Amino acid sequence: MRRTVAANRWRMALRAGLLFAVAMLLGGCLVPREPATTQAETTFSLYILILVMAGIVFVGVEGFIVFSVFRYRRRDDRLPEQIHGNNRIEVIWTIIPTVIVLIIFVFSMGALGTVQAKSPNPAVTVEVDAFQWQWTFRYRDDDNDPNNDYSVTGSAQQPPVMTLPVGQPIRLVLHSLDVIHSFYVPQFLIKEDVVPVPEGTADNELEFTIERAGTYSGQCAEFCGTGHANMAFSIQAMEQADYDAWIAAARAGESPPPAPPPADATVIELNAKNIAFDTDRIEVPAGKPFIIRFTNQEAVPHNVGIYSGGTELFQGENITGPDTTVDYQVPALEVGEYDFLCTIHPTMNGTLVAQ
Amino acid sequence: MATTNLNPRAESYRRSWVIEWLTTVDHKKIGIMYIVNSFLFFFAAGILALVIRSELAIPGLQFLDESTYNQAFTMHGTIMIFLFVVPVLAGFANYIVPLMLGAPDMAFPRINALSFWMLPLGGLLIFSGYLFGGAAAEGWTGYAPLSSNADKFSAGVGTDLWIMGLVFVGTSSILGSVNFITTIFKMRAPGMTIFRMPIFVWTVLVTAILILLATPVLTAGLIALFIDRNYGGSFFDPAAGGNPILWQHLFWFFGHPEVYIVILPAMGVVSEILPVFSRKPLFGYRAFVYATIGIGLLSWSVWAHHMFTTGRVFLPFFAFMTALIAVPTGVKMFNWMATMWRGSITFATPMLFAIGFITMFLIGGISGVILSSPPIDFHLQDTYFVVAHLHYVFFGGSVFGVFAATYFWFPKMFGRRLNEKLGKTHFWIHFIGFNLTFFPMHSLGILGMPRRIADYSPDAGWTIYNLMSTAGAFMIAVSIVPFLINVVATLINGERVGDDPWEANTLEWATTSPPPPYNFDTLPPIRSERPVFDLRHKHDAEQLAIEGTPIGTGERP
Repeated sequence: MRRTVAANRWRMALRAGLLFAVAMLLGGCLVPREPATTQAETTFSLYILILVMAGIVFVGVEGFIVFSVFRYRRRDDRLPEQIHGNNRIEVIWTIIPTVIVLIIFVFSMGALGTVQAKSPNPAVTVEVDAFQWQWTFRYRDDDNDPNNDYSVTGSAQQPPVMTLPVGQPIRLVLHSLDVIHSFYVPQFLIKEDVVPVPEGTADNELEFTIERAGTYSGQCAEFCGTGHANMAFSIQAMEQADYDAWIAAARAGESPPPAPPPADATVIELNAKNIAFDTDRIEVPAGKPFIIRFTNQEAVPHNVGIYSGGTELFQGENITGPDTTVDYQVPALEVGEYDFLCTIHPTMNGTLVAQ
Repeated sequence: MATTNLNPRAESYRRSWVIEWLTTVDHKKIGIMYIVNSFLFFFAAGILALVIRSELAIPGLQFLDESTYNQAFTMHGTIMIFLFVVPVLAGFANYIVPLMLGAPDMAFPRINALSFWMLPLGGLLIFSGYLFGGAAAEGWTGYAPLSSNADKFSAGVGTDLWIMGLVFVGTSSILGSVNFITTIFKMRAPGMTIFRMPIFVWTVLVTAILILLATPVLTAGLIALFIDRNYGGSFFDPAAGGNPILWQHLFWFFGHPEVYIVILPAMGVVSEILPVFSRKPLFGYRAFVYATIGIGLLSWSVWAHHMFTTGRVFLPFFAFMTALIAVPTGVKMFNWMATMWRGSITFATPMLFAIGFITMFLIGGISGVILSSPPIDFHLQDTYFVVAHLHYVFFGGSVFGVFAATYFWFPKMFGRRLNEKLGKTHFWIHFIGFNLTFFPMHSLGILGMPRRIADYSPDAGWTIYNLMSTAGAFMIAVSIVPFLINVVATLINGERVGDDPWEANTLEWATTSPPPPYNFDTLPPIRSERPVFDLRHKHDAEQLAIEGTPIGTGERP
């Protein structure tokens, strides 16, 4: 009888041990991917230090519990010694965790200084506008006029790419147009919330220096509504010379001279407000170019695209209000029904009829 | 002068059992209703968890659209916290605390009934969003301005019902806490001094004080949120000069003490069970009491560690206090370890769940210390690492404590012991399933998977961990089957085990199982924190007086 009880205990032990081994091996990835910024290197070292300390505590405590479970299982009816406490031991084991957490605190504060340091003159400053459910990255230039800055806005089909040079301090100014979002790049080991603030209050800023060229994916990390999972973006880091060439080309291509609209073209008025168009049906003459005079009445970027099935027939640029108007010149369409939508907010859509 | 002889065991007049239960003010019946009601909500929220895990098993949206998914995780979190873990522990406290103190009932029996009946009402209000165009979908934390601007971001009455439901649930907690505090201070039996109270009573006392101070803050915040949504208030609207971060301060000023509201009574349960099945007193009773009070005090100074990445809190202070709260928690861990050390340990199901609690809660504690470091939190905040951490605390901690309490006190409540074989089956499937579900989430978080996303890219390298996690979730669901069979079968035809089947220590075991309406016919003398142990070993004590033999070194009489 006793032997089978003991055997059961051992089987239990084996099961518990196996379970932990399996969990640890399968779920075993407890180390982040290779850090990609100088700040992330600091966080990474700190993390490894704390992980090692955590591992020691884990093995020590769990080991003691498992040992007790086997060593002190009930063998007979004798009542064990009734130990009520021991002041010296209790003082010691109050001091041990205090020392451990103080060490962690001191190292954390040291690392925090490095991670949060701001340089006086970042090489590149990008204004990040977060909104439901996309990003606009606007590259600040020297003329203090935000309206002619080069910018990239993502769409549901095309997540935005932030192109950046390596080896230079990069500053991001995080501005929200609606709810709270969070700018998160896992390989940079950092995120910072993008908080909507009252007029005149400073936005959060994030600074980092990328060490290696490459593509780093990121996404919104603060739950921000229905399309939260779709707020992906990526960072494309390249050598300084490549970046210089890229930004020059991007800026040059940014403001093409607007062509004069044909004098007799039909003008369709279209407005956007509260993430919705003011109509879900537009009628235009078939076979003739026409103009969509699109007014965006809110501080969230919108555009108008015209699609037939999944095929793009026209795609207008993004504009951001309040009360910004653009004339989209749409080429002639054959007789038929088409879809029009804002590609940033695919729920904003309607039918365009050419007749 | 005429004397009236009141027999506490006299038959009351006959009425149907439905009326009896609906109108009862007996703390034991109310406690059982608390527990049953909480388990019903547990199963509902558990089904939502399975829905969430099914959707996340592999990339792509297979079962839900995004808004349904967002409702599912919002309801899962809200129901689990507010309508399962807090009330189920309050239910056990309701049943057990008066018995542990040698009291005939709670101090305010009618308020006790009121605070129970507000729970199903609040819970159904929260759930009823599903009938009116969709439940709340802003997460259980309901961050503004997503939640506060009904015109732009969160249309629909689901969120309003969520707010009002939580106000009811919060009011229920506040009433309950007043009742517990009064009961514990004023209703103790003669001899039950404050330092002879069972640890479970201590943890309930500190919990009640936390509820009393924290919940009104949440209620005020919720009402401000309701005004913002419906009457054009601008507490949290930045466009009108409000501040969305204010909501986070209000929510977490309640929300972090809430974590201890949820874990402290479970710690109390474990501190009752470990000594019984180790046949030793709790090591360092006073240290444990001071650690409980210390946790209660420190819990007021750590709330902003949920807000490190907002860029709007003073990091060193909150990081320091958060690290510091690990110390009293560590002390408790050592106390439990030392209680088992050189004990005489048996492994009945309550003990398995109690050991499960300390081994799993340790992992939650360690990951908590890791998250207390701001630079590391910048990486892990709002990822699955946090989801893993909070489930190791709430599920590995509190829920293991709840099951330990269920198996431990079931014989007291019904006179019958739950079947040990089914209980152990439940424990092992539960334990393995729990780790399979939540351990891989650490890895997901470290690899950068944010929480609250309905879908993820197949290229992200997260699929294998998500698959493991989903398999584990279904394993937990399977483990509930033997538990339910066990409860039903035991109620019908379980083993009758008498008044004190575990050879336990505290006063609730000195009365019958189940206890009579007024709880005690006679009380044993209370000369220590283990009156029933003293009673059982009276012979040892007498022997000590005669022969000078220390208790516990000789054969049992």
